[in-house]
Amino acid sequence: MRGRESFVLLNTQVMDMLLSRVEKPARYIGSEWNMERKEVYDFRFALCFPDVYEIGMSHLGSRILYRVLNDMDGVYCERCYAPWTDMEQALRELHEPLFTLETKSPLKGFDIVGFSLLYEMCYTNVLTMLDLSGIPFLASERDESWPLIVAGGPCTVNPEPIAEIMDAILLGDGEELEPELVECVRTAKREGVSKRTLLERLSEIEGVYVPSFYRPVYENGRYVRTERLSEKAPEHPVRRVVRDLDHATYIGRQLVPHMQIVHDRVAVEVMRGCTRGCRFCQAGYIYRPVRERTKETLLAQTRDLVRCTGYDEVSLLSLSTGDYSELHALLPRIIDDMAEQKVSVSLPSLRIDSILKDDLEKMQTVRKGGLTFAPEAGTQRMRDVINKNVTEDDLLRAVTDAFTAGWCGVKLYFMIGLPTETDEDITGIADLARKVSNCFYRLPKDKRGSGFRVTVSVSTFVPKPWTAFQWCAQNRQEEIVRKQQLLKTALKGVRGAELHCHPSVLSVLEAVFSRGDRRLNAVLIDAYRNGCRFDSWAEHFKPDAWAAAFEANGLTMDEYAHRERDMQEPLPWETIDALVTVSYLRREWARAQEARTTKDCRQGCNGCFGERCEDYCRI
Amino acid sequence: MKIIAAFEKTKEISYTSHLDVQRTLQRAFRRANLPLAFSKGFNPHPKLSFATALATGYTSAGEWLDVELDGDVSPEDFMTRVNAALPNGMRFHSAFVADDSIDTLSKMLVAANYLITLYPDAPFDFEALDAAVRAILASDEVIVEKKTKSGIRPANIRPEILESEAVSVSDNTAIVAVTGTLNAAGGLRAGTFARALFERLNRNGRFTAHRTALLFTGSDRLPRLD
Repeated sequence: MRGRESFVLLNTQVMDMLLSRVEKPARYIGSEWNMERKEVYDFRFALCFPDVYEIGMSHLGSRILYRVLNDMDGVYCERCYAPWTDMEQALRELHEPLFTLETKSPLKGFDIVGFSLLYEMCYTNVLTMLDLSGIPFLASERDESWPLIVAGGPCTVNPEPIAEIMDAILLGDGEELEPELVECVRTAKREGVSKRTLLERLSEIEGVYVPSFYRPVYENGRYVRTERLSEKAPEHPVRRVVRDLDHATYIGRQLVPHMQIVHDRVAVEVMRGCTRGCRFCQAGYIYRPVRERTKETLLAQTRDLVRCTGYDEVSLLSLSTGDYSELHALLPRIIDDMAEQKVSVSLPSLRIDSILKDDLEKMQTVRKGGLTFAPEAGTQRMRDVINKNVTEDDLLRAVTDAFTAGWCGVKLYFMIGLPTETDEDITGIADLARKVSNCFYRLPKDKRGSGFRVTVSVSTFVPKPWTAFQWCAQNRQEEIVRKQQLLKTALKGVRGAELHCHPSVLSVLEAVFSRGDRRLNAVLIDAYRNGCRFDSWAEHFKPDAWAAAFEANGLTMDEYAHRERDMQEPLPWETIDALVTVSYLRREWARAQEARTTKDCRQGCNGCFGERCEDYCRI
Repeated sequence: MKIIAAFEKTKEISYTSHLDVQRTLQRAFRRANLPLAFSKGFNPHPKLSFATALATGYTSAGEWLDVELDGDVSPEDFMTRVNAALPNGMRFHSAFVADDSIDTLSKMLVAANYLITLYPDAPFDFEALDAAVRAILASDEVIVEKKTKSGIRPANIRPEILESEAVSVSDNTAIVAVTGTLNAAGGLRAGTFARALFERLNRNGRFTAHRTALLFTGSDRLPRLD
């Protein structure tokens, strides 16, 4: 049971003592411009992000939810980020609880504590945050006197590895779902119903998965099926989708941090979803269908956000902004509009084939950012396998345009360890870098800049649930290291080339948790107790502590990461319905093996939602 | 036109760095819709310069800066508009229009006043504090370990101490006022002075510092060192 102390705020002197002990105190102070201040409220929501402030504050989804929840009458949504290790230590030494930024309140006193899960490697931080709040890890250990612990975000398309920790898991878009969740909990609290009754009510909301109503069954050490324990809970909870993005709540008064954060600029969400159908890309599958905002809405939102934040940079966000259907009408207008106020406009995630010389020149009028392209694979065959429908000609034309316009550096993203990959595909990456380099040096000296760089950034492929590659084995580490070496050798002699390889050890753990089952909850908790924190930060990652946690639970990472699944094998995440059908994914995998591409769905429906296409998709 | 103005930095916002403050002010000026003058070049930024930086964690009653505007704004209007666009804990309280001939603030800066609060690990009385302060003032040399680029080394901070006075002692805190030199080349750090005091009091502990004033020469419109 909770004691009274859970409602006591941290006083100024305690804050001084905590803040004077940490390297970056600005992470914990709140008081940012546009921070919500409320005097009267009857419902408290702690919006938690299990990574440091600089990263959490950059997350678009959290910005939207902060607005949506605080727009609700009587609801006060406050923020809490994972404390860095120095703050964790300070809190433990002073016996103080983790606190929210708005009112410096401990999480125990909130009605709902909600976590945004953006990547699997932040799961241990969820435990840190619960632990520092004195909240038991397992949902089964918490009665109705505890806050309801929930999670949302892209990771929840495989909710199983955190299913025993969360009371409820939110699938898909949160804008409409979260207010329904809050209303349901608020009513239940007013009526004083039991936790079981509350969970039953929650399970009836579209997009809510209540893990305690589903029991996975294992035979011979493998997941075989799920048993449903409540008649009220749907057989397969369905991912929630906001159908009309143009009228959906947007960020509104975006918070302006004091310290520099990762994406320190106005973020305007141009569209949600992507039509390209890259077969490795989980985001491409789980944010379907594509929904666009109109250019008028975007222009108005951009002006509003710039005015109320004072930012001098705007980013037009989406999974593939170059595909936005009104881009060439929108871009000149936004750039002109913003140039007057000395505000620069950037477009992340541009597609090679959609970039136009005029746009490049326009973007340059205000400020010149870095140029990044993602061919993802080195050969056409490999790009066809992953359905990255970009040709070498597209890339070379785009970089030549950029070099002519004055850019003298370009970053290229690739993955290695892709299904069906051969050594030829690896050396193909070096060949492509060489051709890009030649494009630069082929220009007359007076037409090009100096200090040319082509940065080849290589990550390790992680098979993800709800993609065409969800059955594939990940390459073992030795194989990845060998391929990295091969590439390093092949890149020798390419002028201006620089190779960055992401460490592959981490991607094994990422692969494990991406496609893990419910048995990983115990592993996660053991790993946390073994000292694992901030696993995605190289300086904190403890492979031995993780290995010990797996061993203690009689499981191996190898089984999860490096085993190819049978096409007919039941998969732990199929308890939920992510809208894209398994038969579509099977079809895509079959085509991938034949290196056959699938068309962009703007050119005609590929039927990824099966019979439900018309209900959801309006392309 | 050039406006010279002073703002206070209090509460939690004192835990932001000087760079953070620069960013916060630039954004506040934009929100206030001031006709900012921009530097030329590929990366235009507002022309804004500070008398000095304030250490992260210190509060201040008056940090001075100058900002160039492309258009006329009265000092009162400047303060009203910017204050409405500043986060809690930052507020302008003085502003005037400066002649173009005026020297830069950092060149005119000579000293600063601080109130230092000590949180000792064991109590002492007012007499002890008063004696410690007098002892420091009576010495020709006050040697402390100072962090420099080449590591920690002993330094004599006595020349940087202009005045000091014991203010009060309560159950678990003690307050001292100090005036120290401060200019573009450096000056007395409140933290160093606090450590020198702790040493003479034979105590350990933490401290907080509040800059009560920056002191200048060369202009009647700015607080002066008398």
